[in-house]
Amino acid sequence: MEKGTQQAARPAWKKLLQSVGMQKLIVFLALIAIYVFFSIASEPFRSKETLVSIFDASYYIGFMAIGVTFVIITGGIDLSIGTLTICTALIGGTLHDTYGWPIGLCLLAVLAVGLFFGLLNGLMVSVLRLPSFIATLGTMMVTRGLGSIITKTQSVTYPLASDVDGWYRTFFRSPDNFPTGIVLLLVLAVIMAIVLNKTRPGRYILSLGSNREATRLSGVNVVKWECLAYVISGGFAALAGIAYAATYSTLMPGTGNGFELDAIAGVVIGGTSLAGGVGSVAGTLLGVFIMSTLKVGLPFIDLQPHYQLFITGLVLIAAVYIDVRNSRKRT
Amino acid sequence: MFQSAKKWKRLAVGALAAMFAVGALSGCGGGSSSGGSAGGNVKIEMVAKGFQHDFWKAVRMGAEQAGKELGADINFVGPDSESAVAQQVEMIKNAVNKHPAALCLAALDTKATLDVIGQAQQAKIPIIGFDSGVPGAPAGAIVANAATDNYAAGGIAAENMMKAIKGKVTQAQGAVRIGIVAQDSNSESIGQRTKGFVDKMIQLLEAEPALGTGSVAVVGHDKYANGKTDGKVIIEVRIPSEVSDNAGKTEAATLLNKPDLMAIYGSNEFSAKCIINANETLQKLGPDKVIAVGFDSGALQINAIKTGLFIGSVTQDPVQIGYQAVKLAVAAAKGEKVEDVDTGALWYDAKNMDDAKIKPCLYQ
Repeated sequence: MEKGTQQAARPAWKKLLQSVGMQKLIVFLALIAIYVFFSIASEPFRSKETLVSIFDASYYIGFMAIGVTFVIITGGIDLSIGTLTICTALIGGTLHDTYGWPIGLCLLAVLAVGLFFGLLNGLMVSVLRLPSFIATLGTMMVTRGLGSIITKTQSVTYPLASDVDGWYRTFFRSPDNFPTGIVLLLVLAVIMAIVLNKTRPGRYILSLGSNREATRLSGVNVVKWECLAYVISGGFAALAGIAYAATYSTLMPGTGNGFELDAIAGVVIGGTSLAGGVGSVAGTLLGVFIMSTLKVGLPFIDLQPHYQLFITGLVLIAAVYIDVRNSRKRT
Repeated sequence: MFQSAKKWKRLAVGALAAMFAVGALSGCGGGSSSGGSAGGNVKIEMVAKGFQHDFWKAVRMGAEQAGKELGADINFVGPDSESAVAQQVEMIKNAVNKHPAALCLAALDTKATLDVIGQAQQAKIPIIGFDSGVPGAPAGAIVANAATDNYAAGGIAAENMMKAIKGKVTQAQGAVRIGIVAQDSNSESIGQRTKGFVDKMIQLLEAEPALGTGSVAVVGHDKYANGKTDGKVIIEVRIPSEVSDNAGKTEAATLLNKPDLMAIYGSNEFSAKCIINANETLQKLGPDKVIAVGFDSGALQINAIKTGLFIGSVTQDPVQIGYQAVKLAVAAAKGEKVEDVDTGALWYDAKNMDDAKIKPCLYQ
């Protein structure tokens, strides 16, 4: 029986990979085109510093996007990642500022908080069967409120690079200004791509996203693996929180909502289907770079803010249209 | 976000309704209008927008100082956070029920406080607005305000920047640029700080014989642009497309990347922070490089001033806000005619930031 399903699945699976690859290629070319366009239009854009700026803008969105890719592949959504990112960082910063924890311990606490809320989301969706949109909308509010409660609505400042506890910043930028964060982002992306495509949990997540019932009937513990996707999402939101703190130093309670949409936009531009079952980490990363290159590049051609939003919106719509057209061809 | 705002509003409305019922039952016989005859001291209730924040501690300090000097007893309260509208409404209601000689108020949400303000008016308790006051309150409800004149405060930033760049700007070969990062184009106070800076800067530059009238172009955001595109000095105002660290930092970076940039101004804590973050990779700021001036404080900005990246910043004077509010309240309680007071703004830099006058005004 096993042989039979494999035989039936292979051509479709091959076709799928082909079209996902096609999408990735288009997105990659679009990214190059956007970068070249800004480089021609603006001289200062061509600098190494601007490239570092694009990386800086990509770290936190990138981590959130890698994590939420897994949730979106299951056919769900995680709206809480934006506020969770800020909430984890606020908690870590408060532990450092108010309670004098060493920064290493604070960063572990940040990860723990992220994983905890990821698990909470996962249990609500997979065990309690709450719609992910509503469950994570609730967590979004909870984490936003929690950040304000813990900080007593005051902003939190992380140690600067020159401070004793500033060593964690070298994860993202070395003392001689090398953007080490891009290495970290790429390494984690490669690991997560392997997890998604080459390991059992990843394959189960892909499988339950395309057909939950069939996956369950073939004896896979869908509850467990669906829950895992949300835990991954929460953990990566915590990494995003650390990246945010290292890049922007000061965090304000009450912020963070809206970040998740940037991350989700990156995921969708990268070819992951909101319907679930299809997706790739590499595509997500490309999508994130498109978003951040646009966001950093548009001000360089001296466009006023409203035009920047306008154009970013158009690019998003165009990217999703390409995706929809491709997937229509697939079926 | 909207849901939570709605929830607060519902809570506020509920609390208001409950309190209104209590007030109607108990307040019928209330005839004693102005309090404070027994001990000789006038009683003044102050309801702030917060309590724990350093800013409000400084306001309270100024208020108590004025109370001591003018013979007034101050009761200073504030909600736990700036979103706790219902809690603040309750505090105002309590304050009004005590029949103080005057009430000083910095409202979180004008609409939620309208009923209570009406009750204070009926009880003939004069209301003084302080800090941001009670924006959009019905005419006559607030007898006077003690608040920062943000337009003038922006001018202070321009004056101090001009001192630092005067030599260079008058001897420059070709056009030079002064950049401004403003958080958004809708906030009244930020708009005033930006406009005040731009107008003062133009006035100071045009007064220089080497430059002359009509030599300054203001470009960038439509709200501030003066139609000129060419000049000896170009002031460029940039506003990020959204209030996010990333968008703000990018706007600051585009300014710092311009080779003709001589100086840069961030018109609130957020904008100053964005300039500092952008500078981290670009390394353009410094006493002999691009001159930077900020507004407000915060850990990052204070650090930038200490290390010489910023030459200094303008801060509001919360001590004066408290002091002047009480002074107005005492005068109003005596039935004297009162009018709005500008509580001023202070310039601070690495040299004077630990002075007794400055230190209470700064927050981390």
